[in-house]
Amino acid sequence: MKQIALYGKGGIGKSTTSANLSAALSLQGLDILQIGCDPKRDSTRMLMHGDFIPTVLDLVRERGETSLSITDVVYTGFHGIRCVEAGGPEPGVGCAGRGIIATFQLLEKFGALSGDVIVYDVLGDVVCGGFAMPMREGYAQEIYLVTSGELMSLYAANNICKAIKRLSMRAKSRCRLAGVICNAKNEPREEELVAEFARRVNSALIQFIPRDRIVQIAELNRKTVIEYDPGCPQANRYRELAARVMENTHFTIPTPIEIHDLESLAIEFM
Amino acid sequence: MTSNPSPSNSCRFGGCTLTGALSVTSHVRDAITIVHGPKGCTHHNFSLLHATAMDSRSIRIPEIFSTGLSETEIIFGGEKALDRTLDSVARLDPAAIFVLSSCITETIGDDVQMVCSIPRGVPVIPVPTAGFLGGPFQEGVNNALIALAGMAGSATTDGGVNIIGEKNLEYEVNENFAEIARMLDALGLSVNIRFVHDLDTDRISHLGAARLNILRDPALVPVGVHLFKQFSTPYILSFPAGISGTLSFLKSVAGACGLDCHEVLENEQIRQEEMFCDFADIAGSQVRLDPATTDPDGIRMVSEVADSLKLNITPSGRPVFLPPDLPVGTAGMRRMLHRWRRALNA
Repeated sequence: MKQIALYGKGGIGKSTTSANLSAALSLQGLDILQIGCDPKRDSTRMLMHGDFIPTVLDLVRERGETSLSITDVVYTGFHGIRCVEAGGPEPGVGCAGRGIIATFQLLEKFGALSGDVIVYDVLGDVVCGGFAMPMREGYAQEIYLVTSGELMSLYAANNICKAIKRLSMRAKSRCRLAGVICNAKNEPREEELVAEFARRVNSALIQFIPRDRIVQIAELNRKTVIEYDPGCPQANRYRELAARVMENTHFTIPTPIEIHDLESLAIEFM
Repeated sequence: MTSNPSPSNSCRFGGCTLTGALSVTSHVRDAITIVHGPKGCTHHNFSLLHATAMDSRSIRIPEIFSTGLSETEIIFGGEKALDRTLDSVARLDPAAIFVLSSCITETIGDDVQMVCSIPRGVPVIPVPTAGFLGGPFQEGVNNALIALAGMAGSATTDGGVNIIGEKNLEYEVNENFAEIARMLDALGLSVNIRFVHDLDTDRISHLGAARLNILRDPALVPVGVHLFKQFSTPYILSFPAGISGTLSFLKSVAGACGLDCHEVLENEQIRQEEMFCDFADIAGSQVRLDPATTDPDGIRMVSEVADSLKLNITPSGRPVFLPPDLPVGTAGMRRMLHRWRRALNA
């Protein structure tokens, strides 16, 4: 079983990329589980044709952990992809990070963490130990960074490199940086910049996904691009990504760079 | 004769704010304390308080309830659990409910103050504690005393003296109180209330009636200052230790109350001399303090006792023990010398 996690700045397109990646992998004939690890709970929505599925933590809160079973938390979406949303407390109270940890423990107890590939879609930044959970305890072994060529997005990706480096020192950790996915804003020389960033942090650009209106159109139709328009070039990009993820064997301990190096890198490719 | 075990180095004051505050609130007999946290915070403190109370020959069970937080409350917030516990405790009709927070509720940011402000027909008094986030043990003691002082109304002075912040967890808490009460009695003064040791909430309303507050030790100064602002009651910094310390304590109390203490001081000196006569058999012994102390009051007290008994303090002497909380008054020195004699004759 392959377990991968997508991390990156908020709003960069992690959920879109995750859902299209899951859809493409599923169409290769693989059994896929996608887990949304963000209290916003919209990771799996396009796979569920626009439905917000009940989150694990909402169910725990409303019905109590003991009365739940695997069928309450796992929902089947496009092409048999199993979908889970962790959810979180009401914004501003409690501890969402602890909620992610509890969700993983519950999924483990239910034996839900199975299949050919598990895709973890995690919120913007590794704000605490809870949101680093997919990287800890041997869940996701391959971490993909989603970034554009914008400085703030690279900055967030660099920060996540620090977390991977830190967590890779843990005794039981098997988490490694598996590659960088450029979800482009269509800025000039963006692909070159992100490829150079990936090289500097001891990794590689695994796929360049140009900005394309088809993504918004598909989402307005409550579908992934793969489902809505499988013949379009963008769908092909996602299928290429899926193929490269399955073939990838280049897993590294990242070497995060200093902020001023990051800035001069951005200036270099302006 | 007390059956208390010997004081040792075991520290009962090393816990967090929660333990400190509980050592105060659990001594309000008709009130109930709620610890807002996982049940272990309550259990461990309950065990300590219960065992300590047994040492002091009290068989009263401390009235402490837990909100029993677990994973679900940590994730979603614990305010509802506190609300539920307050409702069920209020049905037991206590005179007051004290609410203490723990590290975890402070970490997840529960609004304890807000939940406590909901009317339930019983006074609900939040005490800032917050476990390790709140500070050390003493901070909890001080916060609890200041919170409880809020329950006192205005009162006309009745001439008594308050004892503030007794160390309810120390081995000789009652013996130390008895020694202070003896000295006050010699000066013609009475004890108004022991704030807080084994008392009912209605007595707390008399807190402002005292003419003087005697603090157990200088760590309680923030409480002394608070009570001075609230009731204009002057305070004395500490229970006394040693020969000169005991005499100057009597002078300070008499001075603060405008009393003549000439005769009382003479009597106390006679009492001290008689005590040293009772220990003439160990005069001239070679002793060393084990462990050594760096506390200036401890050093002064020991050197006075050594002078009076012609004890020779030397590294090669027999080890004798000086408790971390110095013996209180003349009676305290007598108990200490009993232990020294046992050590020297062992």
